Amino acid sequence: MNHLDFFDVAKYFGSTTALEGFSLQVEEGELVTLLGPSGCGKTTALRIAAGFERSDRGTISLGGNDLGSRPAHHRNMGMVFQTYSLFPNMTVAQNIEFGLRTRKMDSRSRHQRCSEVLELVQLSSLANRFPHQLSGGQQQRVALARALAVRPDVLLLDEPLSALDAKVRGSLRDEIRNLQTSLGMTTLFVTHDQEEALAISDRVAVMSNGRIEQFGSPVEIYRNPCNSFVARFIGTMNQFPAVAMDGDRVQLGNRQLVLKHSFPVGEDIRILVRPEDLRLGSDGYPGSVVRTVFQGAMSQVIVRLDVLDILVTVGGVRTDDDVSVGQRVHVEVDAKQALCESAAEVPGDVRVA
Amino acid sequence: MTRSNHSSVNPSLSSLARVIPTLVLILSFMFFVAPLLTLSRYALQNVPTILLGWSTLFDKWSLSGLTKAFSDPGFWDALTITLRLALGAVAVTLVLLVPTAIWVHLRLPRARAFIEFLTVLPFMIPAIALVAGIVVVKPHVRWFLNSDLSLIPFYAVLALPFTYRSLDSGLRAIPLHTLVEASRSLGGGWLTTIVKVLVPNLRSAIISATFLTAAVVIGEFTIANTLLKETLPRFQATYTGREPQGGYGLNLLIIVVTILIFVALNWLTRRPSLPRRPFHHSSATAEANQETST
Repeated sequence: MNHLDFFDVAKYFGSTTALEGFSLQVEEGELVTLLGPSGCGKTTALRIAAGFERSDRGTISLGGNDLGSRPAHHRNMGMVFQTYSLFPNMTVAQNIEFGLRTRKMDSRSRHQRCSEVLELVQLSSLANRFPHQLSGGQQQRVALARALAVRPDVLLLDEPLSALDAKVRGSLRDEIRNLQTSLGMTTLFVTHDQEEALAISDRVAVMSNGRIEQFGSPVEIYRNPCNSFVARFIGTMNQFPAVAMDGDRVQLGNRQLVLKHSFPVGEDIRILVRPEDLRLGSDGYPGSVVRTVFQGAMSQVIVRLDVLDILVTVGGVRTDDDVSVGQRVHVEVDAKQALCESAAEVPGDVRVA
Repeated sequence: MTRSNHSSVNPSLSSLARVIPTLVLILSFMFFVAPLLTLSRYALQNVPTILLGWSTLFDKWSLSGLTKAFSDPGFWDALTITLRLALGAVAVTLVLLVPTAIWVHLRLPRARAFIEFLTVLPFMIPAIALVAGIVVVKPHVRWFLNSDLSLIPFYAVLALPFTYRSLDSGLRAIPLHTLVEASRSLGGGWLTTIVKVLVPNLRSAIISATFLTAAVVIGEFTIANTLLKETLPRFQATYTGREPQGGYGLNLLIIVVTILIFVALNWLTRRPSLPRRPFHHSSATAEANQETST
């Protein structure tokens, strides 16, 4: 069993807290992403798993066996780094065989395994090239092949796509996911790119300030963020100032909406709505179009609402509808998916409304 | 005329700017080469010193002074000692300094400035002060100082300012942390990481350090003289007293050899550090590929 467990792990650098009360379980064959802004501790957690950092508290185990005292080179984990990490003095094949040599594999099996993994990343023709003769995307694919060659118990990916251009990033992301699923590889992936995290993961741990804010499937953290940090960090979120009325109603501008949650009467609250839960229609809050963001078949439209004097982003507007800047529109709010929080709480709990 | 495009540049100024560097080059060449040429006349012409002039420029050139020096058994002993010292100092430097420099870069980056300061100390402290220090402890380590090879640690220290600097700049030029971590994550222990991954990528720096250490050993006189070790520089000094012409000849030879070493160094370190062994990718079997695709 190759499940990777962090239990109550803490790590401090001087007076800075990098990780605190970090507990996470990566199930066998699962791809878990650590997602968060830079400095949130995600890379530290990965490096502790790899054995490059020692935790100051807590335990980390693989398949139930404690890893704490095992040095990095005895952990049998494959790692792909953010920066290009191929050994410049070795060819692609020699790079891939490096981990097999340290495992004292005989040369015949080494060559065989090397061809296998090169085949996996479709780079068989480049076996004799040196790293400096490869593009960035090819280098990262070789790095992936090198990590997979040793049949690691866990694959650790430290922002492997961030140095690549957008197109290569997208295709390599899908390639990693396909390989990971077909090999059933237990994988811990670190990124600050939420789009990447949502696209690739079985589960995502959203982190801030060394803690896990929420751990769940991409859909869960997108649709049911547990607090306003997660709500705002994942995707775009519109914020409406509103006042609680009796029962489950709130006053939003000159209209009333019905939410699933009630606040004390008269309390100032914030309603959080995704762009796709706003629509341009004939009924709703009047405003004028400030800007349109072309995204292919669909566009986002930024509207300034008259009554509330705030900018909101309306998603999923068909580009063919030809909305122009300055045009008068009405914005309808779909309250079913809205989240709300007390305006006093920063950053408070978000309750599913 | 293409020059008309650069109307803002004064033509006489720009030609001056071309002449000056050439002039400086010629002057500095003369500054370095003229003494060598004069020395070679002393050493290789069998003409009394007082008669050396333009009229005798091509008279009686001969290697007899040098061959006489070579036939002195003391020369070969001294050469052997110096070569052994050079080898020893290079070995000590590489074995101790390469891991140290790597360790400092990896684990003590904040101590880098301090360590750099420590390594230039041999520059600031004259060799004679080092010798004075030896004299103080001499009664206790006589067994050690009796050996000719006892000079090795001193020479390794004397070469520190050069060797550490060259390793330091080599380490700065490679993504050290990533390479080390990549190697470790692939199962490489520290020895494997240093020998298989770091040393090949520090090739130029290590070659520089090697030659610089050798150059220091070939030129050092003060410590060898104080400790009464018959090294090449010391032999050369005493021999020049006895046989001036042969002594100058040795002097010239050592200078030329050192220059050649540095030319070789320049040439070696400029070549890209690519291994020349091709990889044979023959055993890609069909079953292997099938296994992965299922």
